[in-house]
Amino acid sequence: MGTTVTKEQNSAAAKAVVDNLSKRFSDAGITTEAVAHAAGKKFEFVRIICAPEQWRAVAKHLKNEIGVNHCAMVTGTHYPSGGDDRGWEVAYHMHRWPIQDVEAHTMIVHKGENLEGDDIPMEFEIFIPLAAGDSPSVPSVQDLWVGADWNEKETWDLVGIDFEGHENMHRVLNPHDSPVGFHPLQRQHKIRYHDFNEMYDDPQGFDRKPVDEGRVK
Amino acid sequence: MAEMWITMGPQHPMTHGLWTLRVKVDGETVTDTEAELGYIHRGVEKICESRDFTQITPYCDRLCYVSAMTWAHSYVMAAEDLLGAEVPERAEYIRLMAAEVQRLASHLMWLGAFGPDIGNLTLMTWCLRDREMFLDLLQELGGSRMHYNYPRVGGVKRDIPIGWANRMKAKVKLFENRINEYEMLLDESTIWLVRLQGVGYATAEDQLNAGVTGPNIRAAGVNADARWTNPYSVYDQVDWEPAVEKPTSVKGADCYDRYRVRMEEMRQSCRMLLDAIEKIPGGANTHYQPGDEMLITKAPTRAPEGATGFSTYECTRGVSNFYLQGGGDGRGKNPYRVSIRSPMFITIPYVAKTMIGYKVADIPAIMGSYDPCIGETDR
Repeated sequence: MGTTVTKEQNSAAAKAVVDNLSKRFSDAGITTEAVAHAAGKKFEFVRIICAPEQWRAVAKHLKNEIGVNHCAMVTGTHYPSGGDDRGWEVAYHMHRWPIQDVEAHTMIVHKGENLEGDDIPMEFEIFIPLAAGDSPSVPSVQDLWVGADWNEKETWDLVGIDFEGHENMHRVLNPHDSPVGFHPLQRQHKIRYHDFNEMYDDPQGFDRKPVDEGRVK
Repeated sequence: MAEMWITMGPQHPMTHGLWTLRVKVDGETVTDTEAELGYIHRGVEKICESRDFTQITPYCDRLCYVSAMTWAHSYVMAAEDLLGAEVPERAEYIRLMAAEVQRLASHLMWLGAFGPDIGNLTLMTWCLRDREMFLDLLQELGGSRMHYNYPRVGGVKRDIPIGWANRMKAKVKLFENRINEYEMLLDESTIWLVRLQGVGYATAEDQLNAGVTGPNIRAAGVNADARWTNPYSVYDQVDWEPAVEKPTSVKGADCYDRYRVRMEEMRQSCRMLLDAIEKIPGGANTHYQPGDEMLITKAPTRAPEGATGFSTYECTRGVSNFYLQGGGDGRGKNPYRVSIRSPMFITIPYVAKTMIGYKVADIPAIMGSYDPCIGETDR
C-alpha cells in the first residue's frame, strides 16, 4: 500500500500553522485561515492575505519558522474594474515538503503517516492585493526561494507587476525586443488571430458582419 | 585562453526542443551559462481566458505532447476544486491508470531521447517500440495517439473498453521484463556509465529551494512525491511506493542517479497499474455508457467571482500546478485567470547553472538527465 498523509495530520498541521501565524502577526491586519479544497480529498491549506509592505516579513517568517521550502508559482492578475484597493493581485503558491536538513549521501524514505510537526506537507496560498494604478509593485522574495526567481520574471513579463529588489529582471517568454510596457496578460489586450477578432471574441459568429457591409446596396 | 560564449540551440540535439543555452567556456570548461526560453510561447493562459471550462482541456493536452494525459488531469483537478465537483471512484481509478500509462510512455520517450545523447542509438529504437504499446492503450481511451482530451471536469469521457484490462495487463507484464533488458543494455555499458557517473551533481535541498521537483529530486535521496504529500485521486488505495535513489556522492544526485530513479519509477507504475485494475470499482471487464454516474458527475459550469481553484499534481517531470480564478466572461462561464506552473520552466534555468564547472561534452548528459520538455516550459 502506498504511503500517504492522512486527513487528521493535515488538519492538525493547518491549525498549527494558522495559530503560529496569527500569534506572530496578530495586530498587523494580516488574515490567516485554514481553507479546505472543494474537491478531491478536501485537504486543508493555509490562505494568507497581506499587504505588499508586510510581505517580506511574512515571507521570512514562513521560511524560517514554518519551514516553507518550495515556491511553486507566482500569479499576477489584473482587475481593471476591481476598485482602487484591488486593481492588481499577486498570488504566491508555496509548499512545505519534508526535506529539511537532509544529510548528503543518505536515503530518507518518509512514511507519510509517521510525519509530525513541521514535517507534515502543507500548501500555502498568499494573496497580496495591490492598489490600482500604472505601476503595481511587490517586494521580491527571490533571495529567500531561488524558485521564485523565474516565476517572478514570468509574472513581470506577462502581467507587468514589478518586483522590488529582483535582480536581473528580463523578458523570459515574450520576445526580448517587445515594446516597453507591453504585458499581454493585462486585460486591455484582447486576443486576436491576425485581423479576425471575432474568431475568439465571438466564436459562434452571432455578431459577425459581412466584410462589405455598408458598401452594398 | 580567452573565455568565449557559445550558443547551443535553438536547433541543437541537446535541447530536446526549441530553446537556447548560452555557454561561456574557458577551453573545455563551462564557466557560466544562460538559458533563453520562450521560442514556442503560445499564450495558453491568455487563450484560456476566452474559453469555458470544458474547452480548456484540449489546450492543456497540448502543453506537453509527451505527457498530455497528466496535464489534462492536472487541469481538471483544479477546475473541480473551483467548481466543487465530486468525481466517482471508478473514474478516479481510470484516471489513475491513464496517468500511469502516460507516465510509462513519457519516461520511455525520455529514455529514447536520452540514449542517442549519450551515444546509444539502440536504446531509442527499443524505447519507441515499447512506447507504441502504451500509446495504443491510451488511444483506446481517448481516440488519438497524443492528445487525448480524455479527463472531464467531474469524471472521464468514456469507460475503458471491453478487453482493455487484459491487454493492459499483458503489456505491463511484458514491459516489466523489458525494463530488465534495458538495464542489462545500459548498466553494463561502459560508455553509459562513464558519461553519466560523477556528472551533474545536485542535492535535494538545493533543488527544492530552486523549485526542482519530481524524479529529479527523488534521485537525491528523498521521497518527495506529490502523489502522497498532497494526496489526490486514489493513490492511497493502490500498491506502490515512491521511487527513491540513494545518491552516489555527498554532492548529491548525479546523472546516473536520475536515470536509475526513472527506471525504478517505471517499475512502480507497472505495479500500480496491475494493482489498480484488480481493485477498480464496478469491475475491469464491464463497460458503462458514456455519461453514466459511475464515470462522470454533473459539474456546475459557472464559477462566481472570487472563487479559486488550485491543484498540485505529480506530472512526469515534476510537480505541475494550476491556479484558476472564477468569474470571467459569460457570467462566470470562463475562468477570469488561468495560471500554469510548469516544472521544467523552473528546472531548466536551475540545470543551466549546475553545469558550471563541467566540460562542454557533459552538457547533453546533464540536460538530458533532467528530461526537458519545451512545450510545457513555454506554454
